[in-house]
Amino acid sequence: MRVWLGFCGLMLAANVCAAEGASRLDWLKTAAFAGHQTDYSGVFVYQYGNHVETSRISHVVETDSEYEKLESLDGPKREIIRHHGQVWCYTNHKMVQVDSQSGRGRFPLLLPAQLSALSENYQVKEAGVERVAGYNTQVILYQPRDNLRYTHKIWVHTDSGLLLKSAVLNEKNQVVEQYAFTELKIGGEVDRSWVASSTPGNSKPALNKAAMTVNSGWVVDALPNGFKKTMEILRPMHGKHASVTQLVFSDGLSAISVFIEPADADEDDNEGLTSRGAVNLYHKVVDKHLYNVVGEVPPKTVMQVLDSIRFNGKQ
Amino acid sequence: MMKHEISALMDGELFEDEAEILFGQIKRDPSAHQDWATYHMIGDVLRQPEYVHRDISAVVRERLQNEPTVLAPRSRALKQKARVFALSAAASLLAVGVVAWMSLQISPEASPQMAMQQSNIRPVNMQIQPKSNDYLMAHQEFSPSNDMNGGASYIRTVTYNPEEKSQ
Repeated sequence: MRVWLGFCGLMLAANVCAAEGASRLDWLKTAAFAGHQTDYSGVFVYQYGNHVETSRISHVVETDSEYEKLESLDGPKREIIRHHGQVWCYTNHKMVQVDSQSGRGRFPLLLPAQLSALSENYQVKEAGVERVAGYNTQVILYQPRDNLRYTHKIWVHTDSGLLLKSAVLNEKNQVVEQYAFTELKIGGEVDRSWVASSTPGNSKPALNKAAMTVNSGWVVDALPNGFKKTMEILRPMHGKHASVTQLVFSDGLSAISVFIEPADADEDDNEGLTSRGAVNLYHKVVDKHLYNVVGEVPPKTVMQVLDSIRFNGKQ
Repeated sequence: MMKHEISALMDGELFEDEAEILFGQIKRDPSAHQDWATYHMIGDVLRQPEYVHRDISAVVRERLQNEPTVLAPRSRALKQKARVFALSAAASLLAVGVVAWMSLQISPEASPQMAMQQSNIRPVNMQIQPKSNDYLMAHQEFSPSNDMNGGASYIRTVTYNPEEKSQ
């Protein structure tokens, strides 16, 4: 009898677990959806290592599309505007259109396939309720099942579903980088006067050529489990004469981009690993090609990926 | 004289009263006691060389005297048992701790410096150079962190380093 009861309890627990697993995954969808559908404006802090900077972000949804403006409040003036799948960037006293590769009317949304891959690669846990920027948030932890990716921790506003804080942690549970709103206005009264005036419709696109989806023949043999190719394009890049092949792989939470281009003959910086927050970049010249691997993954992962790049197509 | 008598005693050649007197002498006289032991050993060796009786009492006593004295109070058996259990639990926790610590020590996921050491290449600059910002921007467009953080993740692509000269 006791055994039978125990068995029932186990089955019940298993069912509850399965349901919880689904709801934990839903937080990400909720956050992604809210991030696109909600008007908000606020100030957030971005921190990695000793570096701390404050920025203001405004996001409004108009009938045609989303508008988003990001402006730095510390250091030199920098501004990024996103609208209709296009990005404009104001740095060094210039406004340039940095890319129009996607050509999508909307910002990319998480794909269901990416969400299912997520639970294969990460253990998802609800980690309590905390207050961020004066709002109640649900904390969700994504712990990787291997050491080739980082731990992600997100704080989702329980009412609106907006992401109010996010942190990337390494294996030692040290914060690699984090974003956190310190002040946030959600909904109706968000100022939208900048939308009409600041959209640089008349600014000259930096690049006239568009990207093309290709089958480049380049392959990566040593991707971590669960990274699926989401993009393979031949694209123009700022300051480059030749087009650059870009392959993008994602495991649902982070992405790895592989860039391949002909190496400059006078390239003296043949190899190196650099980082900015959770992003690591490893570049190397191999057989007259310059490889750049960029991703929100640990240093050894970008290195492992780069060292397994191989051309498998026709010469 | 004495040795001869001891030998006779061992062979069962003495009368009971003679034997009583000799036993008394052996008890009092250490050298006679020693002879008694030696003769027995000789007899043992002759009969069964595999099992030689040897008087190790002196050696054991000496060793015992050199042992450190344990001053801990003697606890009751049950209590001791519990403590042994607790100690073994602590030991296994410690083992887990050591394993965890070791895995931290040898974790290949380390700072870029560590990774660089592993592959024997010299880091040029640990921070991503501004010239690589275009790669960051091109990557950012397709990163799921856009969905997670909205446009906030884009700050990575234009972040500044106060130590760098602004261009």
